Amino acid sequence: MSLKSYSRARAVHVMLVYTGGCNGCDIEIVNCILSPKFDAEQYKVFLTWNPREADVLVVTGPVTKHNEKPLKEIYKAIPEPKAVVAAGACALMGGVYKNIHGEIPSEEIAGPVEEVIPVAAKVPGCAVRPEDVLSGVVAALPLLLNAK
Amino acid sequence: MNDDNKINNNKSTKETIIETEVAMGVVHPAALEPYRVRLFVEDEIVKDAEITIGVNHRGIERIMEGLPVEKANSLTEKVCGICSNSHIWNSVMVAEKGLGIEVPDRAQYIRVIMGELERLHSHFLYLAHGNEVLGHETFSMRLFYIRETVMELLRMIGGNRVQYGAPIIGGVRPRCELNSKRIQKIKEGMDFVEEKAINFADRFVSDPMIMSRITGVGVISRKDALRLAASGPTLRATGVARDLRTDMECYDPFDFDVITQDDGDVKSNLLVRVLEIFESVKIIRQALKDLPEGRITNRSWEMADTPIIKSYIEVPRGTLYHSYRIEEGRTRNVIIRTPSMSNIGAMEHACIGNHITDAQLAIVQCDPCFTCTDRAIKIIEL
Amino acid sequence: MSVSTTIITSVLAVIGTLIVAFFVSLWLPGIERKFVHARIQQRVGPPLSSPGFMAPIKFFFKETIIPNSPMPRLYNALPLIGLLSIFLILLFTIPQMYFLGALTTVIAIVGLLKIEEVIYMFMGVLSRSVLSMGMPFPDVVKGAKHPNAKRSFLEELSSLRAFRLIAFGSFPIYITLFIPVAMAKSLYLSEIVAYQQINGPILFTIAGILGTIVFFMGSMILLNEYPFAILKTKADVIEGPLMEYAAKSRAYIYITRGFLIFVLASLYVTLFLGIPPNILDPFFLVTVGTAIIFPILMAILSAFSPIFTFKQFYPVVAGTSIIGILGIIAAFI
Repeated sequence: MSLKSYSRARAVHVMLVYTGGCNGCDIEIVNCILSPKFDAEQYKVFLTWNPREADVLVVTGPVTKHNEKPLKEIYKAIPEPKAVVAAGACALMGGVYKNIHGEIPSEEIAGPVEEVIPVAAKVPGCAVRPEDVLSGVVAALPLLLNAK
Repeated sequence: MNDDNKINNNKSTKETIIETEVAMGVVHPAALEPYRVRLFVEDEIVKDAEITIGVNHRGIERIMEGLPVEKANSLTEKVCGICSNSHIWNSVMVAEKGLGIEVPDRAQYIRVIMGELERLHSHFLYLAHGNEVLGHETFSMRLFYIRETVMELLRMIGGNRVQYGAPIIGGVRPRCELNSKRIQKIKEGMDFVEEKAINFADRFVSDPMIMSRITGVGVISRKDALRLAASGPTLRATGVARDLRTDMECYDPFDFDVITQDDGDVKSNLLVRVLEIFESVKIIRQALKDLPEGRITNRSWEMADTPIIKSYIEVPRGTLYHSYRIEEGRTRNVIIRTPSMSNIGAMEHACIGNHITDAQLAIVQCDPCFTCTDRAIKIIEL
Repeated sequence: MSVSTTIITSVLAVIGTLIVAFFVSLWLPGIERKFVHARIQQRVGPPLSSPGFMAPIKFFFKETIIPNSPMPRLYNALPLIGLLSIFLILLFTIPQMYFLGALTTVIAIVGLLKIEEVIYMFMGVLSRSVLSMGMPFPDVVKGAKHPNAKRSFLEELSSLRAFRLIAFGSFPIYITLFIPVAMAKSLYLSEIVAYQQINGPILFTIAGILGTIVFFMGSMILLNEYPFAILKTKADVIEGPLMEYAAKSRAYIYITRGFLIFVLASLYVTLFLGIPPNILDPFFLVTVGTAIIFPILMAILSAFSPIFTFKQFYPVVAGTSIIGILGIIAAFI
């Protein structure tokens, strides 16, 4: 492994963006970073709140119309290489909010995340389990390691 | 509402023009949830604050319109990921009230146990988040560590760490039946939580640096809290002993105290929650001790049309209101009002006069949950 | 020994000292995080090399972007200037450089430390992050209570705070730098070191003990370590002036922090123990040891304290400054 990919694997900075979920996934993700039981830092995953510092963007929620632009801006601010992890049912397919009554789409939801920004890894669950989030971030790693 | 506006108007006419506006959000580490707070600042002291919500609006009430009642009830769980059980509980209570369904005693007890476990995890989350905003990572992590026990108990009973809602119309889900093994586990968990919470509370209250940060910050006076229609622990922290649990039928068999503090600052708010943790542990212990035998669901009921039924319950953050009417087995005219909605006025008020670093703390002290609040429309009179 | 060999050994000593110092400094953030914070917080914590060593390397390999700033080039140059200034501090404390005269005085060091502080102010003014005013919001005017107010960036706020920090926050460390001066009655580092070699380290006098406390607090304020991190509080200004740095500049920020810890520790050892950093001297291990103990102590303090607002900040600074002044008085007695 070259120094480049080695260093990328040894320090992964994660940024969280909540785009209008129910708070369940959000709390679970904060839980997996702040709770000593899961402790993301032992897997070399560090929390940051600054897109300029981040490598991996973890997005939860179905991306409401009002959140679409901020999410795009934040994605744009992250320097390459970057990867997006969509966490939770809402982020994957809009959850219960996207389609109301069969095929009628909701006017409030711009998501799922895939339609707004490119997604590298998807973590299912309502709400996601902390272990799954960590494995999702790790699953997105090869994309970072092999990037130019 | 009128009163509120009048005061705001007075403020803007009386005071000189405010120099700078500092906006925080939609993405901000102290807020976590997407909302925007605009602080009007002079020399780093907040002169006025404004919280704008609406970014999170997903239209759950709209989706619930016309759904079968059972389905609509389980959808209310998705209103909030922190107090999901409370939402489904209240929503089920609306239907039960309207259709006159008798709920077995054992089911009521299990509902109370779930509700109190939820209060435990919500209050621990509140304290952890408060400490994170204070900049105290260590305390925050310790609280998350204690909270993990409660989460595991909820997962054991409800089957999921989040969205574990137990109630269904006429009782609780069969999965949430408490057998002796589960009861034993909850008892052990409560012992652990109580011991750790006492240790934490002692350490927290005796820390001079923390105390100097939180005493006298974000004060809401009793008069203001009542005027701004604050609810729940935020109101109780100002000395008003108003807890809807004392009015709720299912809490009748239990003996607990309504916790109040006098100052209405961040310290009182934190302490109210810390002390409520012990009350919740007390209620859970009583419920486990006297858990009645019998069925957990009453299935002998029939769907009928009802007029609009309203229901208020006490949830970890305050008073939760649900109302809808049933028409041909479907829900109509759903209205949900979450406690954070009525606390927004208090949050804005608490910011004023504080240093800008304390502003987020003053908002967090009211335990905001904007993701669940963003359904209703706040009417602003122009 | 001929003159040429002396020159060669001197040059080697200087280069060797700088390289070793640099290398040690890369491990300090890891020690802080893994052995102190994680221990106190009862978790496993990151690998030792990750926060200080691998993270900057990773940032070097990231895409270079133009920061969102009115003067992107100047903004990106600022961390390099900061790194250079602390590099010079270390350089001037190496005994082989004492022939430089006025540059090897306490005054020169004060000046170079001042650069480090002033830089934060410039950074704050030049940064225009997407996280503050750049954040798109659907309706800015909606229900605004004061529509005429000037909208300000979060970084401007921290720039103002940096200004206050220059005005009063750095007082303790500058006071304590003059305790050895008062003892040795000379501004020159060479004479301060020589004084201590004759009379024993300043640390073992009353003035020295008071000076040590003040130096510790002062350097924490200078480093913006956690209880004193008013410039980059997560609760309001997020990362403040550093918000727009990405890729290489971000790596310099990471390196600067570790290196500044080392340099402050080495400066302390020079001024209060009389051991200047010099790789040819076996006492260089004392410098390295202090550089490791220093972040450990800082991390313990930062793990157990909430962030300070001005309400707590002013009394702490005033208190430590008074202790520092007492130290200077003690030095004259």
